[in-house]
Amino acid sequence: MSEPEILLKLDQVEKRFPGVIALRSISMDLRAGEVQVLLGENGAGKSTLMKILAGEYRASAGTVTIGGKAVSTLTPETAGELGIGLVHQELSLVPALSVTENIFLNRLPRGPLGRINWRKAHDMARRALGELGVSIDPTIEVRRLEVAEQQLVEIARVLERGPRILLLDEPTSALSDGERLRLFDVIRRLKTRGVGMIYISHHLAEIPMIADRVTVLRDGVVVETLPAEKADEETVVRMMVGRTLDEQFPKQVAEIGTPALAVENLASGNSLKDISFTLRRGEILGIYGLMGAGQSEVAPALFGLQPIKAGSVAVDGKPVHFSYSSNAIAAGLGLISRDRRQSLVPMQPVGPNLSLSWLSRRRLLAPLELKREREESERYVKELRVRPSSLTHQLMFFSGGNQQKVILARWMSSGAHTLIFDEPTRGIDVGAKAEVFALMSRLVNEGAAILMISSELNELIGMADRVLVLHGGRVTAELDRDQLSQENLLRHAS
Amino acid sequence: MSESTATKTSDEAAIAAQSGRAHLRHLLFQAGPLIALILLMAYLSFATSNFLTVDNLSNVARQSAFVAIVAVGQTFVILTGGIDLSVAAIAALSASITAVLLTQPLALLGFDFGLLPPELAVAIGLLMGLVAGAFNGWVIATFKIPDFIATLGTMTIFRGAALLVTDGLPVPSFDAQRQLPDTLIWVGGGTLFGFPVSALLALLCGLIAWYVLRYTVLGRAIYAVGGNREAARVSGISIERTKIMTYAISGLLAAIAGIVLVGRLNSANALMAEGEELRSIASVVIGGTNLFGGEGSVLGSIVGAAIIGVLGNGLNLLDVSPFWQRIAQGFVIVVVVIFDQWRRRSMTRI
Repeated sequence: MSEPEILLKLDQVEKRFPGVIALRSISMDLRAGEVQVLLGENGAGKSTLMKILAGEYRASAGTVTIGGKAVSTLTPETAGELGIGLVHQELSLVPALSVTENIFLNRLPRGPLGRINWRKAHDMARRALGELGVSIDPTIEVRRLEVAEQQLVEIARVLERGPRILLLDEPTSALSDGERLRLFDVIRRLKTRGVGMIYISHHLAEIPMIADRVTVLRDGVVVETLPAEKADEETVVRMMVGRTLDEQFPKQVAEIGTPALAVENLASGNSLKDISFTLRRGEILGIYGLMGAGQSEVAPALFGLQPIKAGSVAVDGKPVHFSYSSNAIAAGLGLISRDRRQSLVPMQPVGPNLSLSWLSRRRLLAPLELKREREESERYVKELRVRPSSLTHQLMFFSGGNQQKVILARWMSSGAHTLIFDEPTRGIDVGAKAEVFALMSRLVNEGAAILMISSELNELIGMADRVLVLHGGRVTAELDRDQLSQENLLRHAS
Repeated sequence: MSESTATKTSDEAAIAAQSGRAHLRHLLFQAGPLIALILLMAYLSFATSNFLTVDNLSNVARQSAFVAIVAVGQTFVILTGGIDLSVAAIAALSASITAVLLTQPLALLGFDFGLLPPELAVAIGLLMGLVAGAFNGWVIATFKIPDFIATLGTMTIFRGAALLVTDGLPVPSFDAQRQLPDTLIWVGGGTLFGFPVSALLALLCGLIAWYVLRYTVLGRAIYAVGGNREAARVSGISIERTKIMTYAISGLLAAIAGIVLVGRLNSANALMAEGEELRSIASVVIGGTNLFGGEGSVLGSIVGAAIIGVLGNGLNLLDVSPFWQRIAQGFVIVVVVIFDQWRRRSMTRI
């Protein structure tokens, strides 16, 4: 058997963002007809790498060789011409256009005089979707589809261009088991046609199902590329995390105390239908769900940022109703939001960011507590090892992990004792993650209660005392610490 | 493991060095407007014989005072990411009301109040400015409409109200029962210890505003709302209340400027100070405040107003035709904004 053709080769590719080095030195290759699974924690650099290959970001250094030719600048156009197709993690469809228009954007079949031949277009779209084994009406607007259907449309759109190199960034995160298996069928068919695929996934169980080789990234570096047979769960998790699990998740069992937050039959927004739980002091309660399962609306609803449709909330045993976040803060709640950018004022240094929540409910012309602000900033910068340890640098120059520490310090300094961590480690590196986890352990030991909403299975398994699994906006399972495993969580979530 | 720790520390050092340089550059850019003003004044001192005279400098200061006071208020609004196009109209409205009350007896709803005490007339004028500004803020916060459109509308409303108050005629009119008080004339055109009173007043407004922005809860809330609305909201700051306050302050300062202008011109009319809203915005931007909010200072805006004033005066002294003066001033604004954008891009791409 001859050596398979090398479709793509990366040599010491590097990518820097302000304050963050996303990719340090990436060298890897992709062969024709193989599926290479790319693994790594959030923030390891997987999505950045995909965006470089799709021409959406430009590498700061290093060379990319495609089909034997070195490519100096990749733009989305040249990437398409070179046969690279990317299925995005975040959907990149136009919600107000029809399925057909999304699949053939810019390339709709035209008749004489440039008129669009809609009948032919819809037929082609139907066929493209049929390849994936789904029947979706191609004339319908994309925004009317379920998330899973949208994801399939996205995949159909990329496949329609006949890519030689296919990049799949967590394509199954919103799919049901059946849909996932059909996608795998398509992937196997593409393999026989010689398409090379890089497949990002968090579901380690998928490796034996489709992978030929597995590449593990950590902190912007390739740890190792190994054949799929050798990539058992224990090995790859150790590679991804780069340290023993005890070091990464310094879980201490704290004494469970009185109820801090009791929620009954809460419904809010579009996706959260019915959730009930009691969070006690000293406890970390995890909430897990796949995309669109309602977990993203838990924090805004509890924190008075979006109206509650039904249900009741009690803090420290007292029924409450928060119309504004200032009410929630006054009751002792703190929120580490899903998107860090929503929590900090980038052009200001640590002090004003730390003390922002102290302003809540104060008279407008009252003087600032500048002395306390300086003292507490100094204390927390030292205690949480914020880098750079500067009180004058604007926060935009800090890395994600250090920004997250400042936000944590904000709630610690304002005396919040019930903390909602919404995706607390998104986009921060492994080392900073471990520090955030250590802080969570410390906080519950000091009597705080933590609601930890996360899509990272590893960190829920590592840190949570209990996990509620959501599906379709409702709780499908409540798992105790000894029942937590990737399979268990995923099974109840899908 | 030791190798990875080594790369880690060298990375941290590299990041620290990068952000250190950017930080230094940031400080340098903050002093930029002041350096520009000093260079401009130094050039004019050499290029013309009569720029650096007490008379001329007092004149420039007096002329710039109006824009400077309005720009101080405008800074509050722009720091939250808003814009106030109605400031000149508010200035004219407050000026008109004050001038009418100072020179005519007040008859309202069938009651005859006679001539009001001058202090009361001025107080009513200032209050009008505050209320008009608060109205702007209320409309924007309650109905969630863009600041630009809201104040474009209220600008016309306030001009119309000023026309109603003055009947479209200059005040004091030929049948005035009382002349404008001497104190007001002194504030507009007089001196205190040799310095123009109006310019001193502009500085005083600037200092108070600087204090409010730097040392009070309101100031911090303004920077937070402009820097990141969502972060302010999550931290329990009321965006609505903050916005209404900034517009009220802007209205109050516009009223002060308008009444000072009455003193300088010795008269008021409904169409006075037309176009000055744009000069106040230009002053704020030249002074280094980010048009999208969150960054900047009132002292910069005062320097910005001084640059515009000195530039106009200098071009006059250099015998540049007024037509070309306008073109030159427009170019300065465009160049400053280009420079500002470039600076911001270079900062996010260290």
